[in-house]
Amino acid sequence: MPKIFEANKKAFITGNEAVAWAALAAGAEIMFGYPITPQNEVMHYWTRLAPEYGKGFLQTEDELSAGFTVCGAVQSGKKAFTATAGPGNVLMQEPFGMAEAMRLPLFAVIQQRGGPSSGTVVYSQQEVTLTTFGGNGEGHRIVYSTATHQEIFDYTIKGFNAAWKYRFPTFLLGDGYQAKMREPLEMYNPEERGIEMVKTYPLVGLEGKIGEDREPQHLCNIYSLEEELYEVVMKFAAEHEAISPELVEYEEKECEDAEIIILSHGVVSRAADDAVKILRAQGIKAGYFRPITLRPFPQKQLREAINRRPARKLLIAESAYGQLDRLTKQEIYGETVAIENLFMPGVGIIDYDIINKVKSIL
Amino acid sequence: MSLIKIALAGEGGQGVQSVAEILAEAAYNENKQTIYIPNFGLEQRGGVSIAFIQVSDKRIGAPKFSKADVVVALSERAIGRTAGYSDMNTLFVYDSGFMVKPEELPREAKKIIGIPAVDTANRQLHPKVFNIIIMGTVIGLTNVVSFEAAKEALESKLAYKFEKNPDLRELNFKALAIGKEMAEQSLKEGVGSNA
Repeated sequence: MPKIFEANKKAFITGNEAVAWAALAAGAEIMFGYPITPQNEVMHYWTRLAPEYGKGFLQTEDELSAGFTVCGAVQSGKKAFTATAGPGNVLMQEPFGMAEAMRLPLFAVIQQRGGPSSGTVVYSQQEVTLTTFGGNGEGHRIVYSTATHQEIFDYTIKGFNAAWKYRFPTFLLGDGYQAKMREPLEMYNPEERGIEMVKTYPLVGLEGKIGEDREPQHLCNIYSLEEELYEVVMKFAAEHEAISPELVEYEEKECEDAEIIILSHGVVSRAADDAVKILRAQGIKAGYFRPITLRPFPQKQLREAINRRPARKLLIAESAYGQLDRLTKQEIYGETVAIENLFMPGVGIIDYDIINKVKSIL
Repeated sequence: MSLIKIALAGEGGQGVQSVAEILAEAAYNENKQTIYIPNFGLEQRGGVSIAFIQVSDKRIGAPKFSKADVVVALSERAIGRTAGYSDMNTLFVYDSGFMVKPEELPREAKKIIGIPAVDTANRQLHPKVFNIIIMGTVIGLTNVVSFEAAKEALESKLAYKFEKNPDLRELNFKALAIGKEMAEQSLKEGVGSNA
C-alpha cells in the first residue's frame, strides 16, 4: 500500500475529516453513503481523497441502500464502510442486522445527533441503544465510543481490523461535537506504528470444489426452521462472548480510594476527567471510569473498580436520558453500589455540571 | 497560558465561523492546545451563529463551556443570545453602533465594551473587514495568539484573494491592527458598562 502520510503528520482538522483520513490510512477501498448531518463531511472529505488515491465512492438513494451496498462490497472482499447519524442510523439497522446475522465485516461510523429532522441536528448521545443493540438481532457487534480526534483516527483503523478479524459488524460511535470541532491530532501510516492491517478476502465466488477443496461458505440470511436460527444465534453469542475479553477497552483513573465513581463515555468523559481533577483538588474522593467499548462492555473491570474501596456511589453522566445507564445496569447486575445519574439529553455536559451533581449527592 | 474561552456570535454570513477558524488555526500554529466548535442552529435560514473557541497550554476538556472569558456579539440579536455566557469574569464586547436597551446587555460582566467596529469599517476601511476588526479586538483583549500568528493565519486563509488583489492584504492587516488597538484602548480607559 502506498504511504499516505510523509511522517507522523500533525493536523488541526475536524473529526469527520479525521475519519476520512483514517479510513484511507486503514486501506479502505470504497465508501457508500447518504448525506446526513453531522456526518456529511466524512463523505465530502472521502470524495475529495478518493480520486487522488484510486478509491471508490457511491452515493446511494438512501441509507438502507448504503448499508446493504456495504454488506455486498465486503462479501466481494472489498474494505468498505459507511457513515451515518440519527434517522440514517435507524434506517441502517436493517443492513446492520443483516451484517450481524451473516457475520459480515461491516464498518460504520456513527456521529450521534439530536433532533429527529431539521434544527438541532448536531449533538447528542442518544444513539447508544440503537448502535449497540438496534436491529432484529442480539447486539453481536463491536462498538467503540471515542472522545478525541486522536481516538477517532486510532479507532477507525482499529475498527476496520476488528471487523475483518472477528467478522462482527463494527462501529465507531462519535457525535456531532466530535464530528464538527477542530482539534489537533497526529496521523500516521498504521504499518509504521507496527499495526498490521488484517487482510481482506472475498466471502463469495471462491475457488475450489465444496467438500473436496474447501468447506462451504455459510452466508445464510434465510432460515426455514426455528431450530436452525436458534443454533446459529447461540453459536454467534458464544463466539461474541469468547472474544469479549480481548476486545474490551476502558479508561480508569483514581478509582483506588474513590467514594464516588463518575461513569461516562465518549466526549462527555472529557468533562468527567476534568471534573475528577477539580473534585480531587477540593478533597473529594472522586474516580473516573470510561468504557471505550460499549459492546462488549468492560463489565468485569467496572465491577473491580467499584469494589476497590468500595465506592459508595456511581454517577452515570450522559447526554441522553439513561441509555448508558441502562446498558451499565444490565452489565453490572448484582452490584450494590448506589447508582445516581446526570442525564442531559441532547446537550453538552461540562465539568461544572458534573461537579455540581457530585456535590449535591455526596 | 491558562485556558482562554471565547464565544463569538453573529448572523449567518457575517463571517463569525471564518474568524473563529482563523483564530483557532493561529493558536494551533503557535503549538497551543486548541478546540474550535461551531454551534449550528438554523443560522443558514437566518439565526444566530455561535463559535466556541478554547485555547490552552494543557489538554482541553469539553468542547463547549457555560461561561466565557470573552464574548463578542456581532449583531444586535447576538447580544441576547450570548448574554448567558457572561459572568463576573467576562469581557463582553458588542458594537457601539447597535441600538441596545440596557436590559438586553448581560447582567454580569467584568466589563462591557462597546467597540465602533461597523462604523470604523465603513468609514476608514471597507464594510467587509468588519469581522477582521473583531478578530483584532479578540486578540487585543486576550492575547490568545500573537499579532504575527494572526497575520500569518489570515495570510494562509485568504492567500487566493490576496493574490488576486494585493491591496486586500493591507486592508485586512490594517483592520486587524485597528481592532487590536481599540481593544487595548478600551481596557486602558477602563471603559465601563454601556460605553
